[in-house]
Amino acid sequence: MPLPAAHPAVGDAMPKTENLPPELYEATDGLIQNLLASEPFLAYQQSRVQMKSNSQAQTLIERLSALQTELRRKQTNGSVTQADIEELRAVQAQVQANATLMAYASTQQDAVNFLREINQEISQLLGVDFATLAKQSTC
Amino acid sequence: MRNLVFDDIEIAHVEVAKRAARDFAAALAETQQFKAFEQTYEILSHDVAAQQALSAYRGKAESLRALLMLNAVSEAERAELERLKQDYLTRASVQAFAAAEAELTALCQQAAGMISAAIGLNYAASCGASCCG
Repeated sequence: MPLPAAHPAVGDAMPKTENLPPELYEATDGLIQNLLASEPFLAYQQSRVQMKSNSQAQTLIERLSALQTELRRKQTNGSVTQADIEELRAVQAQVQANATLMAYASTQQDAVNFLREINQEISQLLGVDFATLAKQSTC
Repeated sequence: MRNLVFDDIEIAHVEVAKRAARDFAAALAETQQFKAFEQTYEILSHDVAAQQALSAYRGKAESLRALLMLNAVSEAERAELERLKQDYLTRASVQAFAAAEAELTALCQQAAGMISAAIGLNYAASCGASCCG
């Protein structure tokens, strides 16, 4: 089994796992190590680092997010103008033309697809969908 | 897959990662929580009275579906629907299964949370499980 060079510090802080039985904790950690060492996740982490260190990409994403929020706000009170839509389309076009952002989006999708394959593998053996059991009820 | 260069990093093959997934599933299946979940499910699925109570509730809910959507169900009908629901929910086999399911869910959330934090993606959301079922 290939061992990853290091456990990359990505995502949020680890949640408390003191209630996980030791065998399950070990198996979970083994799965994490293998996910992180897989090609889709290595590519995702690499493009994520590149995206975070690219100020132009960051600015574009922040701009797009702000415009989308503003447009949603305007939609609720019916004050969206043609200029608003054109501005959003222009920023969307810039995002799509940004290689760093497109690489990030593409590698993230690859990682998600791989994670789904992994979930299918787990669920087949359990006879129940693991992701459904693991979802947090928030509504 | 596009060409990628990962200097000095050993890449795990897909099959190795899938084996780790199966090892994880096997470890989860061995937990007391998963065994209780399976056991209580088995008991519930063989509890004829519980299945009949569920069927009666579903039948009533279905017959009132249009009225429920319009919020036009009479008090008596609403009370009857609630009684049928409680008939099902208060059965021992249903309560035992619900408790076991809650225990297993908590365990799975913890394991998935550990995975999500490490990989930088929300496991359940990425795999298509929405919070609204």
